[in-house]
Amino acid sequence: MAIAAASLAASFIAPASYSAEGGDIGTLTPEKADKAFAGKPVYSPYAGRNFPTRPLFGDTHLHTGASFDAGAFGARLTPRDAYRFARGEEVMASSGQPAKLSRPLDFLVVADHSDNMGMFTDLFAGKPEVIADPQAKTWYEEIKNGQGGKAALEIIFAFGKGTLPQSMIYGRDTRPYKNAWQDTIKAAEEYNDPGRFTAFIGYEWTSNTAGNNLHRNVIFRDNADKAEQVLPYTTLKPLGSDNPRDLWKWMQAYEEKTGGNVLAIAHNGNLSNGRMFPLIESFTNKPVDKDYVEERARWERLYETTQTKGTGEAHPALSPNDEFADFEIWDFGNLDASVKKTPDMLEFEYTRSALRNGLKLEAQLGTNPYKFGLVGSSDAHTGLSAMEEENFFGKTTPQEPSPERLTATFVKDDKTGITVMDWEVGASGYAAVWATENTRESIWDAMQRKETYGTTGSRMMVRFFGGWDFAPADAETRNPGAIGYDKGVPMGGDLTKAPDGKVPTFLVAALKDPIGANLDRYQIVKGWLDDKGDTHEQIYDVAWAGDRKPGADGKLPSVGSTVDIGNATWTNTIGAPELIAVWTDPDFDPTLKAFYYGRVIEIPTPRWTAYDVKRFGNKPLEGTSMTVTERAYTSPIWYTP
Amino acid sequence: MLKRVLKEPLVHFLALALAIFAGYALVGAGERQERIVVTAPKIEQMATLFTKTWQRPPSAAELKGLIDDYVKEEVLVRQALALGLDRDDAVVRRRLRQKMEFLNTADAEALEPTDAELEAYLTSNADAFRIEGMLAFEQVFLSPQRHGGRAREDAGSILQILLSDPKANRSLLGDATLLPPEAALSDSASITQTFGADFAKALDQAPLDQWIGPVVSGFGLHLVRVTERVPDRTPSLGEVRDAVAREWTNARRSELEDQQFAKLLGGYTVTIESLAGKETGR
Repeated sequence: MAIAAASLAASFIAPASYSAEGGDIGTLTPEKADKAFAGKPVYSPYAGRNFPTRPLFGDTHLHTGASFDAGAFGARLTPRDAYRFARGEEVMASSGQPAKLSRPLDFLVVADHSDNMGMFTDLFAGKPEVIADPQAKTWYEEIKNGQGGKAALEIIFAFGKGTLPQSMIYGRDTRPYKNAWQDTIKAAEEYNDPGRFTAFIGYEWTSNTAGNNLHRNVIFRDNADKAEQVLPYTTLKPLGSDNPRDLWKWMQAYEEKTGGNVLAIAHNGNLSNGRMFPLIESFTNKPVDKDYVEERARWERLYETTQTKGTGEAHPALSPNDEFADFEIWDFGNLDASVKKTPDMLEFEYTRSALRNGLKLEAQLGTNPYKFGLVGSSDAHTGLSAMEEENFFGKTTPQEPSPERLTATFVKDDKTGITVMDWEVGASGYAAVWATENTRESIWDAMQRKETYGTTGSRMMVRFFGGWDFAPADAETRNPGAIGYDKGVPMGGDLTKAPDGKVPTFLVAALKDPIGANLDRYQIVKGWLDDKGDTHEQIYDVAWAGDRKPGADGKLPSVGSTVDIGNATWTNTIGAPELIAVWTDPDFDPTLKAFYYGRVIEIPTPRWTAYDVKRFGNKPLEGTSMTVTERAYTSPIWYTP
Repeated sequence: MLKRVLKEPLVHFLALALAIFAGYALVGAGERQERIVVTAPKIEQMATLFTKTWQRPPSAAELKGLIDDYVKEEVLVRQALALGLDRDDAVVRRRLRQKMEFLNTADAEALEPTDAELEAYLTSNADAFRIEGMLAFEQVFLSPQRHGGRAREDAGSILQILLSDPKANRSLLGDATLLPPEAALSDSASITQTFGADFAKALDQAPLDQWIGPVVSGFGLHLVRVTERVPDRTPSLGEVRDAVAREWTNARRSELEDQQFAKLLGGYTVTIESLAGKETGR
């Protein structure tokens, strides 16, 4: 019986290559396999340690009531509430309804705005002379009369334009500001629980001159002892500046002084009106120079490619052949809607075009300033990192669940005629990090080496390895991760100088969110610089669900949809729970610089708007999108000849 | 030596302070001469703030800018107070209230709980600090895409191999997957994170050291063996001291606030007029 069963097992489970004696390098032998499964994992000092084989999910960008704009919008939650919520506890949202995640996050960065940190109430309260300013008086009265949301938007825009009344500019009056920063640090220290939950110290530097968004989140690797030695860098003069070069100087000064480590993550290039990934610097109107590209590459290791205010991976106008590029796009103008978008700006706003231009700059200046890994995060201003479609707590407190948010306006500028509705806000996203341990150091180090990916809110597990020797059999192994590290580099890594006659091969794998939707396909996006100095891009479908065949145009047919919008349901009757494949670049030229990154797409599911219609029973506005195809974007692997 | 003294930032501040002091001591605010003194400690504080941001002391020009701004603020604040702009102002009241609350809870920050207090807190809130049970396990995965209608049957065959031959090479059984083939001691929450709730529940009920299955998850079928089990337990104080101290401080903070307030309230006779004009004492 046992023998018969064994031969049966061998016949349908073991591909022939397994039993090939001492096969070539691309073959897994039982000896190698045994090594990969070597005995018991090492004993860990941390109780409840997670498997080293799973990514850690978190949010690198969350605001609480300590952010002056969030406070203005009515957010009352503190950093401590935010950490409690992220750890999986139930908290009371500012709108007075209980909120809880479907499952805990592994880490969180409370990144409150450094300008006016903790100051919203102080701004009005602590400074009577503020009311002497007529504009400030108007806002003050609006807030008293319950029109805080309107006042808050105007205050934020005034801040962006630099027209905030002097009396309202906070940050020089020392004690309350210091208290706010120290409280932020203290909250992170209290909730940081190595091995179980990581609470990072961080803040957001909110450069927003004339409404053009150049925001960066600064994340500390260190604990309170080092972070307490500095105050966050602000954008307001005389102590601060709105030029990222000055932020990098501040980061350098911090590292030199304390021996600590910080990194910065930019976001929302889509609201920068062509300034986020410049070839020509907006501050000087001169081409970026050697100093700029070196400093940017050094300090800005990651980019937040998706969040509530639009997704920034690609734009349909820049990538006309990419049928998935048109996803949660915000391309109306800059952050405060004061200047309309023009087509020439797009190239300097989106992830993919930045990765392409980075190759160009590297050829000219020797360093690629846009060699960043990818994450997603929320940028929620509620203290609640709740980005699941069926449990979406909005971007700001007025957008917490209510019948109104289906029809309310998010931003409106009468001069430019730009209107953005609340329904256009996306329930996105999260950062996934392949860290060996759930600690500040380990997660930060993984961010620094760019072994990260971003999702639009779902928690799929995604692997992306590049190397010269991956073979089809590697996609059949019991432990693709082990083979991936063994024979290649993970996401965020580098391939250099192709060995003679070799072509880049990629081991890709994706596993659906355990409580989420099946997967449609795994794609590889390639960008390269040709010998004339022009850049190109190409998208390859490398693994997909079902037995679809690419059509005459080379495109894979759609996976279909099971979404019942009226009931806000879907079924996993289409798609696949897991996709694994090995892909070889069919168009490789060893003399040209290139990058490759993975994009994983889920089958369609109901968007948060559909859940709202179902729960509140009200009617959505004309044109409201009701389905979403969640996705993940991996950090690229770069090929440098 | 003198050179070094002249390089000391503090000496610069003091020199600047004297200069500013001389300048402002004579400045009037209209009819009545008010004095504004920018003290050396105040200047030092401003300089410290600058230094903390920039990791270098301010230049003379920068420091002058900071001091000028402080003076401007001082003048405006005094004028505002003189005009009574702070009275009957809901926001000023809220701020003052906040400051009082902060003062009241600041005492809590300084409290150092004794071990006995923490022990007592842990005992009365044992559930909040319970250490979850954990288990370690191995699993062999069968993908529904690969096996289609034969998945259960094939799972049965593999289970037979595993049961009859403990030495069977598991790396040759089952399908490729990102799911880990084995997991070190993990609590139910982290197993759920990766495998889903149903799978975690099934493991909870699985016997020790025995291949069973197939267990169904959102991914497919699994044959599983629990290799180790640690039951849940109440930790000793040493293991969770920081967490207990944090929760104890939080609890003490709100307790103290209530006490402080009750004490203050005791100094007042509060009369609340009802809307109809009737008075109700309390």
